[in-house]
Amino acid sequence: MNYSSTLLENAVNELAKLPGIGRKTALRLALHLLKEKKEAVHLFSNTIAEMREQIQFCSVCNNVSDTQVCNICASSVRKKSIVCVVENIRDVMAIEATQQFSGLFHVLGGLISPLDGVGPDQLFIESLVERVKTGTIEELIFALNPNIQGDTTLFYIQKKIESFPVKITSLARGISFGGELEYADEFTLAKSIQNRISIERQKNNY
Amino acid sequence: MFKNFEFKHKVIGICGANGIGKTNILDAIWYLCFTKSYFTAIDGRIAYTPNQGFRIDGKCSINNQAVNAVAILRETGKKEFSVNNDLYTRLSSHIGKMPAVMVAPDDVIIITGGSEERRKMIDTLICQIDETYMQQLMAYNKILLQRNALLKQFSETGFTDNALLHIINTQLITAGSYVYKLRKDFLPAYLERINKHYQQISGSNEQLELSYDTPLDVFNSKSEQDAFELLFAQNHSRDLAMQRTNGGIHKDDIKFLLDGMPFKQIASQGQRKSLLFAIRLTEYELLQEYKGFAPVLLLDDVFEKLDEQRMANLLLDVCVKKQGQVFITDTHKGRLEAHLQNVGCDYEIIELV
Ligand SMILES: [Zn+2]
Repeated sequence: MNYSSTLLENAVNELAKLPGIGRKTALRLALHLLKEKKEAVHLFSNTIAEMREQIQFCSVCNNVSDTQVCNICASSVRKKSIVCVVENIRDVMAIEATQQFSGLFHVLGGLISPLDGVGPDQLFIESLVERVKTGTIEELIFALNPNIQGDTTLFYIQKKIESFPVKITSLARGISFGGELEYADEFTLAKSIQNRISIERQKNNY
Repeated sequence: MFKNFEFKHKVIGICGANGIGKTNILDAIWYLCFTKSYFTAIDGRIAYTPNQGFRIDGKCSINNQAVNAVAILRETGKKEFSVNNDLYTRLSSHIGKMPAVMVAPDDVIIITGGSEERRKMIDTLICQIDETYMQQLMAYNKILLQRNALLKQFSETGFTDNALLHIINTQLITAGSYVYKLRKDFLPAYLERINKHYQQISGSNEQLELSYDTPLDVFNSKSEQDAFELLFAQNHSRDLAMQRTNGGIHKDDIKFLLDGMPFKQIASQGQRKSLLFAIRLTEYELLQEYKGFAPVLLLDDVFEKLDEQRMANLLLDVCVKKQGQVFITDTHKGRLEAHLQNVGCDYEIIELV
């Protein structure tokens, strides 16, 4: 495609880098922004830049936060003795949407997958072990995807903390999460949090 | 471009010149049974215009149940598969619902080719019979890729994370043990039956020996898990050095011996074909017994390319007795018709032009 302006072309190139956005859509979005008032576009780009610049990751649970410790970890009403271990921030949002969980979270930032070059060191596993060592946690609920990488990650962490008196449970497997926790409907997810199973009883089940 | 066919009879002869698309009809039926082509792993290749997508829509009756299976490959490469308007989230859950057996000229590769051809042969059969086997096999293959990637990583970083390797070993053993146990339990009777059919077909007293050959067998272990543990322990340093998994069910094979010699080295063309037909006939019978109804039989060009009319007639005969539906292609209408009349079955001939 021929652009009469390199400025426009640059904007299209940047927008097309976003997931799910092809060049056609990127052009449509860019042309839309051109029609907007300058102030509105300023606000738009500033908001994005500020989000990226100022956002913090909670020093306790690695969840996104505006402050050093996120509002879930800082809350006085949430149970500090139960921690739900999830892969990413979207999983926190999915579980929070059920309003059925009153404990804290721990966001791993991914799952162990040598094929994708992700090892334990790239994830927030050590910080979870540290949290367990403090002795305040009585139960860890693993809410990881019921796939091979989810199991590898679960078993690996379990091994790391086996000497600590922590109860380990997992969301019931076998029920359909549709593959991804974030896509599970709230009712199913809420139910599987209530019916979580002790990990000793759990077998590999793909 | 769409084509519609209606198959009203038990045996459907499809004839026409080479390249007219006879085999495509068989492959379309196979696709509806297995959610993939018999001939290629790449879906885009079987479209009328390569990579332009396709739709296969088939209606049939299985065990007196009306089934409408639809496979769609979108131009984007996205694949959709539904049965009676229910879209599958996992394609693999369809396997075994519509059992099928194919005999195609290139299938002698089972006998002449590498061990992966024989694993594919037994897996295609067992997956249709045991859903857990298929799931565990798929899991095993995925974990194996993870393990090999991990071994590669160890070599690149110079650090061996034994804790993580142990976890992945455990996962691999859990999935692999199921597959190993089932192969161990299932294969002897299966191979014996192939042998019996081979003797019948070849009509001779040749000493054919068929055996399940697995690296896990060398250990006199109490359990399948133990055998795996021992195998992994034995291969540990070799795996690390070669950056891949040297032992496991992915190395299994079926050994064919004729008078004590490797079958593929000394068998004639005719003996190879006899063995191929014996294999397919056994698969057909086992599927029929496990499912309680006859699978669909697809015979591609067996008169021309395999030139073993007696065997083809035998197979046809068995299927007709079991009330299964048979699709058979041939370039010569006259020859095909003569065979079908000879078997005395309820047939129709579709001529492609
Ligand atoms: Zn937090």
